[in-house]
Amino acid sequence: MRNSMKVANWEFKRNARNKSFIISLFITPLLFVIFAMAPTFLSNFGDDEDSETTVYLNDEVGVFEAIQPMLEDRDFVSWDVVETSDEPEQMQEQLNEEEKAAYVLINQETLESGTVTYMVGDDVHDDFENELTILQQPIKQAQLQVAGLSSDQMQLVQSPIDYQLAFEGEASETEAEETGGFPFEQALPSIFAGIFLFSIVISGMMIFQSASQEKKDKVAEIILSSVTAVELMQGKILGYFSLGILQVTVWLTLVAPFAVWKLEDVPLFEYLFVPETLMLLVIAILGYLLFAALFVGLGATIEDYSTSGNFQGMVMMLPFIPFFLVGPIFTNPSGIIAQVATYIPFTSPAVLLMRLAVLDEWPWVEILIGLAILIVSIWIFMKLAGKIFQVGILIYGKNATPQEIWKWLRA
Amino acid sequence: MEKVLSVSNIEKWFKKTKVLKGISFDVHQGEIMAILGPNGAGKSTTIRNIMGIMYPDKGNVTFHNHNGSEIPRHKIGYLPEERGLYKNVKVMDVLLYFASLKDYPKDKAKKRAIDYLEKLGLKGKEYASVEELSKGMGQKVQFIGSIIHEPELLILDEPFSGLDPVSQEIFKNEIKQLAKNGTAILLSSHQMNLVEEMCDRLFMINRGQKVIYGSMDEVKTEYANFKCTIRGKNDLSVLEKLPAVTRVEQSDDISIIYLTQDVQVTNWLKQLPDSLDVQELSVDRVSLHEIFVDIATDKNLAEEVGGSNA
Repeated sequence: MRNSMKVANWEFKRNARNKSFIISLFITPLLFVIFAMAPTFLSNFGDDEDSETTVYLNDEVGVFEAIQPMLEDRDFVSWDVVETSDEPEQMQEQLNEEEKAAYVLINQETLESGTVTYMVGDDVHDDFENELTILQQPIKQAQLQVAGLSSDQMQLVQSPIDYQLAFEGEASETEAEETGGFPFEQALPSIFAGIFLFSIVISGMMIFQSASQEKKDKVAEIILSSVTAVELMQGKILGYFSLGILQVTVWLTLVAPFAVWKLEDVPLFEYLFVPETLMLLVIAILGYLLFAALFVGLGATIEDYSTSGNFQGMVMMLPFIPFFLVGPIFTNPSGIIAQVATYIPFTSPAVLLMRLAVLDEWPWVEILIGLAILIVSIWIFMKLAGKIFQVGILIYGKNATPQEIWKWLRA
Repeated sequence: MEKVLSVSNIEKWFKKTKVLKGISFDVHQGEIMAILGPNGAGKSTTIRNIMGIMYPDKGNVTFHNHNGSEIPRHKIGYLPEERGLYKNVKVMDVLLYFASLKDYPKDKAKKRAIDYLEKLGLKGKEYASVEELSKGMGQKVQFIGSIIHEPELLILDEPFSGLDPVSQEIFKNEIKQLAKNGTAILLSSHQMNLVEEMCDRLFMINRGQKVIYGSMDEVKTEYANFKCTIRGKNDLSVLEKLPAVTRVEQSDDISIIYLTQDVQVTNWLKQLPDSLDVQELSVDRVSLHEIFVDIATDKNLAEEVGGSNA
């Protein structure tokens, strides 16, 4: 174990000082922030272009007052309202000249017929008709007022119909609260564990490179004259695990202030530090160990990645299979696909994280069976990887074929 | 001298091929022992078995009083034939890593590294990246890596391959110096002239079997007979009829006449017939190089002695 620690320490230090690792360490959260900001930024940017439709409003009923606060918010529409008393015929000419402008007429007739007359210039976008719905509420209100309804009656007519579940359990109450707040309270630990899993698996893929590089650089034999192959392998797995932890720590430290700022009202850390998080992290670590064993064994079979066959490429794809399952699992987190994927060691860590993010009641039996299969698989893969590593790392000058690997396993 | 390493009767199978067929030899303190043999003879496999990178199917490797996997490997230094260094790290970092794997104290290792870098002409390179080193410089760093922890036994597999003559000389002197200071050295090499010059004893192996084992002097007396090289147009049959001849090799107009062990050179020269066409003539001993080539090409000298005189 002491030797494994030395190897782990070396692998960690060597990579943590490596320029490309450091760069990617800081670039990744930056990209994350950029991607998180991009949609808002782009839509704001788009707004500027077709914003500020000049709307000439001939308001004889007084709805303008009611919509004024909404217009100021500019959440829904961006109108520059100019009140006017001109009739449609008079406006015609002006709209011909001023293309990014519209004219809306609201008068007594509107209230009676329920029809709003409007005109638009050539440059006004097609959505303008949708934007007009902003007028619906005040006009309706004015109509009802004209009809002589009391304010209580008006309230009744305008309030929407609510639907409520007959069973008044605790759950529904909290849900009702939640809808007003942050929708991801339950998912947050899973998201966190997911990022954790992603980070350590990504750094785990560096094990592959490291083993392969060690073979290429022919350092392996020197190292193996001091430590055993199994110690070297364990050291690598441990070293890259720490590297993954470093990575995820840096990411979260950099992204956390941004997240707290973006979601200012959400007590993120309160949601995060729950017992479930621990369980999910254990699942993530198990996932890492499985893939680490896979990669370290595989890396020892490859000297030159560019000439390696499809076999190795396919194995490298294994951690990404759960991405294909995202759709089916979120649609039906207790469905047959979700259940089966829970029992397959390559998919179970990620799938469990996804399922536990959305399921209210954790299916403990399934979780335990899934984890048991995962742990047994890890044990088997570590043994196999050890065998492959021992032989593979000392074979120089060529990549191993699947047949050869099979032979080593049986030896 | 104290016996440091003892290999006794080791056998190793690779699948169905027996690659080592009962190898036995010792390495003593302060001596340079050569292990020689053609490519694929089993040298590197023997060395890997000593280093515990693999274990023999039969037989024993004993280091002082330790056996097999109990051998304290931090007391052994090893420079493998297939060797390299991590690329994107500093020279000093690699050396310190190698030292730490051998449980050698860091500050001592640092001091030794700086001393040796200077000794081997790499002064000031300790914080250079390994990538910046030339192949020869890299080899020197690897060599330092194998001796940084003051090993009692040093195993060098082809230490001279790829080195220029100047560096070869530096390596040769350094290895001799280490032996003088008491390190037991097991060295495999194809540079016969260097082996002849520096080794005390040698073990020659072919197809996994011992061919020659003994001190350099013994081997020379036993195998390094005289040979006479004549340039001139001569008939093979005439040369073969000369006395005390074991074997004659002819190519173009150069004939090499191998003589028996007990030949008296001056007497033998007097017996040469006048009819021989002699443009040039020289008499010297068979070199280790030739012994090696003979063994590698299966011209077993011992057999020929009896065979060709008839």
